[in-house]
Amino acid sequence: MGKLLLATLAVFLAPIVGGLIAGIDRKITARLQSRFGPPILQPFYDVFKLLGKAPMIMNPWQVLTVWVYLLSSMLTVFLFFMGSDLLLIFFVMTIGAVFFVMGALSTQSPYAQVGAQRELITMLTYEPLIILVFVSIAMVTGSFKVSEVFAYGKPLLYQLPLMFIVLGYALTIKLRKSPFDISACHHAHQELVRGVLTEYSGPQLAIIEIAHWYDVVFVLGLCALFWATSAPGMIILLVVTYFAELVIDNVTARMTWKWMLQSVWCWGLALSVLNLLWLYAG
Amino acid sequence: MSMLKDWINKGRLKSPWVVHFDCGSCNGCDIEVLACLTPVYDVERFGILNIGDPKHADVLLVTGTVNHRNKHVLKNIYDQMPEPKAVIAMGACGLTGGVFREAYNVVGGVDKVIPVDVYVRGCPPKPEAIIDGVVLALEKVKAKLEAAG
Amino acid sequence: MDILVFATVVLPFLAAIALLLLRDKGSRGLIVVGTAVVLAAASLALVGQGAFEYGPKSILGISLDGLITLLDFALLFVILVIAMTKLKNPLVAALTAIQIVGLIYLEFFMMDHGAAKAAPAMFADSLSMIMVLVISIVGSLICVYALGYMPAHEDHLHLARSKQPRFFFYLVAFLGAMNGLVLANSLLWLYFFWEVTTFCSFMLISHDGDETSVKNATRALWMNMTGGVAFVFALIFLQKTGTGLYLSELLKPGFSAAGAAALIPLFMLCYAGITKSAQVPFQSWLTGAMVAPTPVSALLHSSTMVKAGVYLVLRLAPAYAGTMLSGTLAMFGAFTFLTTSALAVGQSNAKKVLAYSTIANLGLIIACAGINTPAAITAAIVIIIFHAVSKALMFLCVGTIEQKIHSRDLEDMRGLYMVMPKTTIVALVGVVTMLLPPFGVLMGKWMAIESAAAMKYMPVTVMLALGSGLTVMFWARWAGILLSTPYPKGVPAEPQAGTVRGPLVLLAAGAVLLSLFVPFIYGGLIEPAVRSSHKAAGFVLDGFNFVNQQGVFYVYPLFLVLGVGFYFAWKQARKVEAADCVGPYLCGAQSPGDDKAFLSTAGAPVGYQASNFYLTWLFGEERLTGPINMVSGVLLAVMLGLLLGGVI
Repeated sequence: MGKLLLATLAVFLAPIVGGLIAGIDRKITARLQSRFGPPILQPFYDVFKLLGKAPMIMNPWQVLTVWVYLLSSMLTVFLFFMGSDLLLIFFVMTIGAVFFVMGALSTQSPYAQVGAQRELITMLTYEPLIILVFVSIAMVTGSFKVSEVFAYGKPLLYQLPLMFIVLGYALTIKLRKSPFDISACHHAHQELVRGVLTEYSGPQLAIIEIAHWYDVVFVLGLCALFWATSAPGMIILLVVTYFAELVIDNVTARMTWKWMLQSVWCWGLALSVLNLLWLYAG
Repeated sequence: MSMLKDWINKGRLKSPWVVHFDCGSCNGCDIEVLACLTPVYDVERFGILNIGDPKHADVLLVTGTVNHRNKHVLKNIYDQMPEPKAVIAMGACGLTGGVFREAYNVVGGVDKVIPVDVYVRGCPPKPEAIIDGVVLALEKVKAKLEAAG
Repeated sequence: MDILVFATVVLPFLAAIALLLLRDKGSRGLIVVGTAVVLAAASLALVGQGAFEYGPKSILGISLDGLITLLDFALLFVILVIAMTKLKNPLVAALTAIQIVGLIYLEFFMMDHGAAKAAPAMFADSLSMIMVLVISIVGSLICVYALGYMPAHEDHLHLARSKQPRFFFYLVAFLGAMNGLVLANSLLWLYFFWEVTTFCSFMLISHDGDETSVKNATRALWMNMTGGVAFVFALIFLQKTGTGLYLSELLKPGFSAAGAAALIPLFMLCYAGITKSAQVPFQSWLTGAMVAPTPVSALLHSSTMVKAGVYLVLRLAPAYAGTMLSGTLAMFGAFTFLTTSALAVGQSNAKKVLAYSTIANLGLIIACAGINTPAAITAAIVIIIFHAVSKALMFLCVGTIEQKIHSRDLEDMRGLYMVMPKTTIVALVGVVTMLLPPFGVLMGKWMAIESAAAMKYMPVTVMLALGSGLTVMFWARWAGILLSTPYPKGVPAEPQAGTVRGPLVLLAAGAVLLSLFVPFIYGGLIEPAVRSSHKAAGFVLDGFNFVNQQGVFYVYPLFLVLGVGFYFAWKQARKVEAADCVGPYLCGAQSPGDDKAFLSTAGAPVGYQASNFYLTWLFGEERLTGPINMVSGVLLAVMLGLLLGGVI
């Protein structure tokens, strides 16, 4: 019962936390670029404004798909805070990712199509890595359950340092940060317009943004698992990781999807295999 | 419900996303628009984003002389912006056609094709004037919405 | 018992003969539908009876063992004659001749026919029952579908004389052979039915008779024949070592303690299974088989016949548990899963995507058999069931779509909803049930990855993880394409024959409902099957949720939340008005009234095109097939080499 309450609470709080993280993100990014930056609450202003806009879409499927996307992201966060099965949670998140791409593909817009294809490539890139991260966690704790990670007693980071880097790759892709912001970057006006998001607008875009906040909370939650033994440890780990993400975002350029697929798979797999071998040896 | 409405209205004022359409300007105005994004002016302070997609935008910022070639493009982009929305015509050319006003291919100001809410004068206008224009446009939107209930 | 076995195994053969003799359309429909109903009922009744052993000795005074032997030789001679006259293919002829010689040696020089039988010729446990259900229900639905499909298919070919009697003869006879195969305990019987399915497959692939189909059918034949040869060798080997030629003898505990002497025949049988299931490097026969009419692809090459291969591998799993054969099989299956998923990404031909995805799923099943824990075996059986339903559905959809739009290319399916809304929705159900939770196939994949992780098979888990990502890619884009429509409200439903729509709707409903009832299916059939082979269950049902040491899969909570959420999303989508819908963003330069074109400077519309990334530079057939065949060939050779090394 306590778990259910916690999970329900998480579902209500996650968008607030996610939005605040996005706001802080924009503020720090601005500071890194010697700008003043928007208010911390800016992402909420954006989303509320979008909710108030008149609907303008290409077909009803888009409405269907964004709601399913939001639903799956909420369920992902719910299951995560229930301490449920990591692999199952990830597959639930896949529902949303797939529907999101389906909605973009359902439009006949060339920009959305290109963005959707690139989004599929990003999914192809990070999915195996996340599965491997879960497998390695399961090899350490003996179970895929989140609750077992907390029951384990030692920070996973000691045994899975390389897997944390692998998860970092996945995090960078999922946060849509450079050099992997290839599918929906809002700086790429000419080549992409807004990529996979081009044909979503107004309320639909707002829902996608909220779903994205849930996803961010989930992926950061995964990072936190690596230091599950103490709350300060978790927070330090998250702050350091997120700041590293911001620095990477600001010092790298957007690369091509080919480069992403090849380099991330090569490095991600190499690091995973090394780390898993180390586990075997140890 | 009314709280949601308050938040939405607040968002409308605090998050103007601008799509910039160049109807064939000499690039003077365009460079001033880009100057607004630099650390010196930093329009993101006001939540203003330069966005590439009219479907996401709240404000259409038009520079340059509207001519017979591109007037349908201008109209099209305007039509693809969801309500509520505002239009800013910018620079001498955007306002009236400027020095090209009498040319055979020129339609004239932006307001000959689409309704304009705010006119920003200058050749080119200063970045401060542009930012001012965006803020003014939002107030017009607010007034329009209040008039409509 | 007699009646039920008769109805599931012999009746289809009799019906097939009747179909060959009665050429008119009315009686054909009657016989096919009648057989379908009887088969489905008999299979359900069989399940109701529970596990059994059954040793029919003779029919009308003829010894059944003798009859099977006779039919065996007859069949092989027919294949030999076809190979020498029609195909003029020395390879097929040689492979057939080897089998004939081997069989003569086995039957007349090694076996003592007078001796008492060590075990009954037929037996059924839960695994066999599951197979019988899949064959008799899914298979029958496909046969009914063929009734509506074939006339249109033949119209297209402008045949002077209908070849449908022959077509349905093989199609329906095949169902009997499959049922016989999964119910057989005697390896000789199993071998006979095995060869019948090979032969049916050959005849059905070459059904259209053009050059390509004959060529591809021949390839299918010789590849499967190498499996047949391995099967005969396994039989001879077993006879030599004094093991009775019965599955039950192989499955006795301690069989594999004999070391290589036991593992070599097991490997041979698994090899036969691998060729039948078109695992790499034999994948080309299955992709080639896609030239056949779609019901054939659906019945033989996705939902049932290719499952015979994995059935055998899975059936033998307890026999090779804990040996090195098990570990290498896991590697091999995972390798197939990864590589064929990659090949599927590189395809725009819908039937080929389905073919590769079928091979990939079969690979996953073999990987599970190789992992060989109760949880992994559960995964294998779950995938067998749900893959059969969803994949049959997808094939039938592609067939229906192809008859309407005259293309099987994914790119041509854009805007399909405007042409055939009902079929599009059904196809979407197919894709979603293949790909996403809470549906059965995904559940199987979940079980597979978790059990691979539990066994700490690192290479296997890495390959499964990569393959899983690739799967999402090709299914998701297909689903997206199916949705691509302008404002779709008010599109009239397409007219469709009842024999086509019926199976489509039933399979779609089945794909969803079976997943809904998965805890009951697990408790009733899957768990007993796993218990009987591995002495333990892979999962405990805790409030209908699948729980074990590794993890937990919520069935009903997921169904409930996702179901309600989906209904809400659907309602929201229904509210969209035509007025809310606009054209795509085309930089403001779209052609008036045409969403698919820019307006050029001259004022003329200029079309644009966006298509899927097929990544052929990385995942194309030309690029990958060579290396894949090489690696998998080496894998097989290493497996055999290690085993032979054990003997020497």
